[in-house]
Amino acid sequence: MAESDNESGGHTGNASGSNEFSGCREQDRFLPIANVSRIMKKALPANAKISKEAKETVQECVSEFISFITGEASDKCQKEKRKTINGDDLLWAMTTLGFEEYVEPLKVYLHKYRELEGEKTAMMGRPHERDEGYGHATPMMIMMGHQQQQHQGHVYGSGTTTGSASSARTR
Amino acid sequence: MFTKQMISSEIPMLMSKACEIFIQELTFRAWMHAEKNNKSIVQPCDVAKVIMQTDTMNFLTEIIPNNLGDFSVFDAKEENIANIAEENEVSLSFTAGFMGNPMMKMDSEENAGNIVEGNQATLPYTSGFMGNPMNMMNMDNVRMK
Repeated sequence: MAESDNESGGHTGNASGSNEFSGCREQDRFLPIANVSRIMKKALPANAKISKEAKETVQECVSEFISFITGEASDKCQKEKRKTINGDDLLWAMTTLGFEEYVEPLKVYLHKYRELEGEKTAMMGRPHERDEGYGHATPMMIMMGHQQQQHQGHVYGSGTTTGSASSARTR
Repeated sequence: MFTKQMISSEIPMLMSKACEIFIQELTFRAWMHAEKNNKSIVQPCDVAKVIMQTDTMNFLTEIIPNNLGDFSVFDAKEENIANIAEENEVSLSFTAGFMGNPMMKMDSEENAGNIVEGNQATLPYTSGFMGNPMNMMNMDNVRMK
Protein backbone atom coordinates (compact mmCIF):
# COMPACT_ATOMS: atom_id res chain seq x y z
CA MET A 1 0.00 0.00 0.00
CA ALA A 2 2.67 2.51 1.02
CA GLU A 3 4.85 1.75 -1.99
CA SER A 4 1.91 2.17 -4.32
CA ASP A 5 1.11 5.55 -2.79
CA ASN A 6 4.68 6.75 -3.13
CA GLU A 7 4.91 5.67 -6.75
CA SER A 8 1.64 7.38 -7.49
CA GLY A 9 2.92 10.57 -5.89
CA GLY A 10 6.12 10.46 -7.89
CA HIS A 11 4.26 9.91 -11.12
CA THR A 12 1.93 12.81 -10.46
CA GLY A 13 4.94 14.99 -9.75
CA ASN A 14 6.44 14.15 -13.12
CA ALA A 15 3.15 14.86 -14.86
CA SER A 16 2.91 18.22 -13.14
CA GLY A 17 6.47 19.06 -14.15
CA SER A 18 5.64 18.17 -17.71
CA ASN A 19 2.59 20.41 -17.63
CA GLU A 20 4.65 23.28 -16.35
CA PHE A 21 7.00 23.08 -19.32
CA SER A 22 4.18 23.04 -21.82
CA GLY A 23 2.18 25.75 -20.03
CA CYS A 24 -0.09 25.23 -17.04
CA ARG A 25 -3.71 24.43 -17.66
CA GLU A 26 -6.22 26.24 -15.50
CA GLN A 27 -7.67 23.03 -14.08
CA ASP A 28 -4.21 21.84 -13.07
CA ARG A 29 -3.22 24.99 -11.18
CA PHE A 30 -6.22 25.29 -8.87
CA LEU A 31 -8.54 23.11 -6.84
CA PRO A 32 -12.00 22.63 -8.38
CA ILE A 33 -14.09 25.77 -7.81
CA ALA A 34 -17.19 23.76 -6.83
CA ASN A 35 -15.36 22.03 -3.98
CA VAL A 36 -13.83 25.29 -2.78
CA SER A 37 -17.26 26.92 -2.94
CA ARG A 38 -18.89 24.17 -0.88
CA ILE A 39 -16.23 24.43 1.83
CA MET A 40 -16.60 28.23 1.89
CA LYS A 41 -20.34 27.94 2.41
CA LYS A 42 -19.83 25.63 5.39
CA ALA A 43 -18.04 28.50 7.17
CA LEU A 44 -20.93 30.95 6.81
CA PRO A 45 -24.60 31.16 7.80
CA ALA A 46 -27.17 30.03 5.25
CA ASN A 47 -28.19 33.57 4.24
CA ALA A 48 -24.63 34.67 3.43
CA LYS A 49 -23.73 35.14 -0.22
CA ILE A 50 -20.35 34.81 -1.91
CA SER A 51 -19.56 36.39 -5.28
CA LYS A 52 -18.04 34.23 -7.99
CA GLU A 53 -14.96 36.45 -8.00
CA ALA A 54 -14.47 35.93 -4.26
CA LYS A 55 -14.60 32.16 -4.78
CA GLU A 56 -11.93 32.46 -7.47
CA THR A 57 -9.77 34.58 -5.16
CA VAL A 58 -9.95 31.95 -2.41
CA GLN A 59 -9.30 29.25 -5.03
CA GLU A 60 -5.99 30.94 -5.86
CA CYS A 61 -5.19 31.51 -2.19
CA VAL A 62 -5.58 27.86 -1.22
CA SER A 63 -3.22 26.74 -4.00
CA GLU A 64 -0.68 29.25 -2.72
CA PHE A 65 -1.24 27.87 0.79
CA ILE A 66 -0.42 24.35 -0.41
CA SER A 67 2.77 25.52 -2.11
CA PHE A 68 3.72 27.56 0.95
CA ILE A 69 3.36 24.69 3.44
CA THR A 70 4.70 21.87 1.28
CA GLY A 71 7.63 24.00 0.10
CA GLU A 72 8.71 24.52 3.71
CA ALA A 73 8.25 20.82 4.53
CA SER A 74 10.17 19.87 1.40
CA ASP A 75 13.10 22.13 2.31
CA LYS A 76 13.26 20.53 5.77
CA CYS A 77 13.42 17.04 4.27
CA GLN A 78 16.17 18.03 1.86
CA LYS A 79 18.27 19.51 4.66
CA GLU A 80 17.88 16.30 6.62
CA LYS A 81 18.71 14.18 3.55
CA ARG A 82 15.35 12.43 3.59
CA LYS A 83 13.45 11.63 0.40
CA THR A 84 9.96 11.21 1.79
CA ILE A 85 7.91 14.04 3.28
CA ASN A 86 5.85 12.69 6.17
CA GLY A 87 2.99 14.01 8.27
CA ASP A 88 5.23 15.36 11.01
CA ASP A 89 7.15 17.46 8.47
CA LEU A 90 3.89 18.98 7.33
CA LEU A 91 2.77 19.77 10.89
CA TRP A 92 6.20 21.25 11.68
CA ALA A 93 5.97 23.48 8.59
CA MET A 94 2.55 24.77 9.66
CA THR A 95 3.86 25.65 13.11
CA THR A 96 6.88 27.40 11.61
CA LEU A 97 4.76 29.42 9.18
CA GLY A 98 2.22 30.66 11.72
CA PHE A 99 -0.54 28.07 11.37
CA GLU A 100 0.06 26.38 14.72
CA GLU A 101 -3.67 26.50 15.45
CA TYR A 102 -4.21 24.00 12.63
CA VAL A 103 -1.86 21.41 14.15
CA GLU A 104 -4.03 20.16 17.02
CA PRO A 105 -7.18 19.46 14.94
CA LEU A 106 -5.03 17.81 12.29
CA LYS A 107 -3.41 15.54 14.87
CA VAL A 108 -6.86 14.43 16.03
CA TYR A 109 -7.87 13.84 12.42
CA LEU A 110 -4.63 11.92 11.70
CA HIS A 111 -5.15 9.74 14.77
CA LYS A 112 -8.65 8.77 13.65
CA TYR A 113 -7.39 8.17 10.12
CA ARG A 114 -4.71 5.78 11.39
CA GLU A 115 -7.29 3.91 13.45
CA LEU A 116 -9.36 3.44 10.31
CA GLU A 117 -6.33 2.34 8.32
CA GLY A 118 -5.54 -0.23 11.00
CA GLU A 119 -9.03 -1.67 10.79
CA LYS A 120 -8.86 -1.84 7.01
CA THR A 121 -5.51 -3.63 7.07
CA ALA A 122 -6.80 -6.09 9.64
CA MET A 123 -9.82 -6.89 7.50
CA MET A 124 -7.75 -7.41 4.37
CA GLY A 125 -5.23 -9.58 6.20
CA ARG A 126 -7.78 -12.01 7.64
CA PRO A 127 -9.94 -13.71 5.00
CA HIS A 128 -11.62 -15.92 7.58
CA GLU A 129 -12.73 -12.86 9.50
CA ARG A 130 -14.41 -11.61 6.38
CA ASP A 131 -16.37 -14.86 6.32
CA GLU A 132 -17.45 -14.20 9.85
CA GLY A 133 -18.30 -10.63 8.95
CA TYR A 134 -20.65 -11.79 6.23
CA GLY A 135 -23.27 -12.37 8.90
CA HIS A 136 -23.31 -8.61 9.67
CA ALA A 137 -24.16 -7.16 6.29
CA THR A 138 -25.15 -3.69 7.44
CA PRO A 139 -21.96 -2.79 9.39
CA MET A 140 -19.91 -4.19 6.52
CA MET A 141 -21.65 -1.99 3.98
CA ILE A 142 -21.23 1.08 6.19
CA MET A 143 -17.52 0.34 6.55
CA MET A 144 -17.08 -0.10 2.80
CA GLY A 145 -18.87 3.18 2.13
CA HIS A 146 -16.59 4.99 4.57
CA GLN A 147 -13.51 3.49 2.93
CA GLN A 148 -14.68 4.68 -0.47
CA GLN A 149 -14.96 8.22 0.84
CA GLN A 150 -11.46 8.04 2.26
CA HIS A 151 -10.15 6.66 -1.00
CA GLN A 152 -11.69 9.48 -3.02
CA GLY A 153 -10.18 12.08 -0.71
CA HIS A 154 -6.84 10.37 -0.99
CA VAL A 155 -6.67 10.43 -4.79
CA TYR A 156 -7.97 13.99 -4.94
CA GLY A 157 -5.45 15.42 -2.50
CA SER A 158 -2.51 13.50 -3.88
CA GLY A 159 -2.52 15.14 -7.29
CA THR A 160 -2.93 18.63 -5.95
CA THR A 161 -0.29 18.35 -3.27
CA THR A 162 2.42 16.95 -5.50
CA GLY A 163 1.71 19.43 -8.27
CA SER A 164 1.92 22.35 -5.91
CA ALA A 165 5.07 20.98 -4.31
CA SER A 166 6.69 20.92 -7.74
CA SER A 167 5.68 24.52 -8.30
CA ALA A 168 7.23 25.47 -4.99
CA ARG A 169 10.49 23.73 -5.79
CA THR A 170 10.68 25.34 -9.21
CA ARG A 171 10.12 28.80 -7.77
CA MET B 1 16.31 20.42 -11.81
CA PHE B 2 15.35 19.24 -8.36
CA THR B 3 15.89 16.09 -6.39
CA LYS B 4 13.02 13.64 -6.68
CA GLN B 5 10.99 13.62 -3.49
CA MET B 6 8.16 11.37 -2.38
CA ILE B 7 5.32 11.86 0.07
CA SER B 8 3.99 9.46 2.67
CA SER B 9 0.44 8.20 2.41
CA GLU B 10 -0.61 10.62 5.15
CA ILE B 11 0.24 13.77 3.21
CA PRO B 12 -2.74 13.98 0.82
CA MET B 13 -5.19 13.35 3.65
CA LEU B 14 -3.49 15.83 6.02
CA MET B 15 -3.12 18.55 3.38
CA SER B 16 -6.73 18.16 2.25
CA LYS B 17 -7.96 18.71 5.79
CA ALA B 18 -5.57 21.63 6.30
CA CYS B 19 -6.91 23.24 3.12
CA GLU B 20 -10.47 22.89 4.38
CA ILE B 21 -9.58 24.64 7.64
CA PHE B 22 -7.68 27.35 5.74
CA ILE B 23 -10.55 28.00 3.31
CA GLN B 24 -13.07 28.25 6.14
CA GLU B 25 -10.90 30.60 8.21
CA LEU B 26 -10.25 32.89 5.24
CA THR B 27 -13.92 32.86 4.23
CA PHE B 28 -15.22 33.54 7.73
CA ARG B 29 -12.88 36.50 8.21
CA ALA B 30 -13.84 37.89 4.80
CA TRP B 31 -17.52 37.59 5.69
CA MET B 32 -16.92 39.40 8.98
CA HIS B 33 -15.32 42.21 6.99
CA ALA B 34 -18.26 42.34 4.57
CA GLU B 35 -20.73 42.43 7.47
CA LYS B 36 -18.83 45.26 9.12
CA ASN B 37 -19.39 47.32 5.97
CA ASN B 38 -23.07 46.39 5.71
CA LYS B 39 -22.57 44.28 2.60
CA SER B 40 -24.57 41.12 2.00
CA ILE B 41 -22.20 39.55 -0.55
CA VAL B 42 -18.57 38.60 0.09
CA GLN B 43 -16.33 40.19 -2.56
CA PRO B 44 -12.65 39.78 -3.49
CA CYS B 45 -11.82 43.05 -1.74
CA ASP B 46 -13.08 41.52 1.53
CA VAL B 47 -10.66 38.64 1.05
CA ALA B 48 -7.93 41.14 0.17
CA LYS B 49 -8.53 43.10 3.38
CA VAL B 50 -8.25 39.92 5.45
CA ILE B 51 -4.96 39.07 3.77
CA MET B 52 -3.55 42.53 4.45
CA GLN B 53 -4.78 42.63 8.06
CA THR B 54 -3.83 39.09 9.13
CA ASP B 55 -0.14 38.37 9.74
CA THR B 56 -0.33 34.66 8.97
CA MET B 57 -1.90 35.46 5.58
CA ASN B 58 0.93 37.75 4.45
CA PHE B 59 2.29 35.09 2.10
CA LEU B 60 -0.76 35.78 -0.09
CA THR B 61 -0.10 39.49 -0.69
CA GLU B 62 1.42 38.79 -4.11
CA ILE B 63 -1.89 37.34 -5.28
CA ILE B 64 -3.96 40.38 -4.32
CA PRO B 65 -2.95 43.16 -6.75
CA ASN B 66 -4.44 41.31 -9.70
CA ASN B 67 -7.82 41.04 -8.02
CA LEU B 68 -7.78 44.53 -6.59
CA GLY B 69 -6.92 45.89 -10.02
CA ASP B 70 -10.06 44.29 -11.41
CA PHE B 71 -12.14 45.97 -8.72
CA SER B 72 -10.38 49.31 -8.35
CA VAL B 73 -13.60 51.33 -8.64
CA PHE B 74 -15.50 49.10 -6.24
CA ASP B 75 -12.58 49.14 -3.86
CA ALA B 76 -12.64 52.95 -3.80
CA LYS B 77 -16.34 52.88 -2.94
CA GLU B 78 -15.66 50.26 -0.31
CA GLU B 79 -13.05 52.51 1.31
CA ASN B 80 -15.55 55.39 1.35
CA ILE B 81 -18.05 53.14 3.06
CA ALA B 82 -15.39 52.20 5.58
CA ASN B 83 -14.75 55.89 6.30
CA ILE B 84 -18.46 56.51 6.83
CA ALA B 85 -18.57 53.54 9.17
CA GLU B 86 -15.69 54.99 11.15
CA GLU B 87 -17.50 58.34 11.37
CA ASN B 88 -20.54 56.53 12.68
CA GLU B 89 -18.39 54.93 15.32
CA VAL B 90 -17.08 58.37 16.31
CA SER B 91 -20.63 59.72 16.48
CA LEU B 92 -21.62 56.80 18.63
CA SER B 93 -18.82 57.58 21.06
CA PHE B 94 -19.92 61.23 21.15
CA THR B 95 -23.50 60.18 21.80
CA ALA B 96 -22.37 57.96 24.63
CA GLY B 97 -20.45 60.88 26.10
CA PHE B 98 -23.50 63.12 25.77
CA MET B 99 -25.70 60.58 27.47
CA GLY B 100 -23.21 60.51 30.30
CA ASN B 101 -23.76 64.19 31.11
CA PRO B 102 -27.25 63.82 32.65
CA MET B 103 -25.90 61.04 34.83
CA MET B 104 -23.12 63.33 35.94
CA LYS B 105 -25.68 66.03 36.76
CA MET B 106 -27.65 63.50 38.77
CA ASP B 107 -24.49 62.61 40.57
CA SER B 108 -23.90 66.25 41.34
CA GLU B 109 -27.43 66.66 42.66
CA GLU B 110 -27.03 63.59 44.79
CA ASN B 111 -23.77 64.92 46.09
CA ALA B 112 -25.42 68.24 46.93
CA GLY B 113 -28.22 66.37 48.66
CA ASN B 114 -25.75 64.33 50.64
CA ILE B 115 -23.94 67.47 51.72
CA VAL B 116 -27.18 69.08 52.88
CA GLU B 117 -28.24 65.94 54.71
CA GLY B 118 -24.82 65.76 56.27
CA ASN B 119 -25.13 69.25 57.61
CA GLN B 120 -28.58 68.58 58.98
CA ALA B 121 -27.44 65.38 60.60
CA THR B 122 -24.43 67.05 62.15
CA LEU B 123 -26.27 70.10 63.52
CA PRO B 124 -28.65 68.31 65.94
CA TYR B 125 -25.81 66.23 67.31
CA THR B 126 -23.70 69.31 67.90
CA SER B 127 -26.59 71.19 69.52
CA GLY B 128 -27.46 68.25 71.72
CA PHE B 129 -23.93 67.86 72.87
CA MET B 130 -23.51 71.53 73.71
CA GLY B 131 -26.94 71.96 75.28
CA ASN B 132 -28.17 71.06 78.74
CA PRO B 133 -30.77 68.32 79.40
CA MET B 134 -33.66 70.76 79.16
CA ASN B 135 -32.58 71.82 75.68
CA MET B 136 -32.45 68.19 74.65
CA MET B 137 -36.05 67.78 75.85
CA ASN B 138 -36.99 70.80 73.79
CA MET B 139 -35.40 69.21 70.73
CA ASP B 140 -37.46 66.08 71.24
CA ASN B 141 -40.61 68.19 71.45
CA VAL B 142 -39.72 69.96 68.25
CA ARG B 143 -39.20 66.64 66.48
CA MET B 144 -42.54 65.30 67.71
CA LYS B 145 -44.31 68.37 66.43
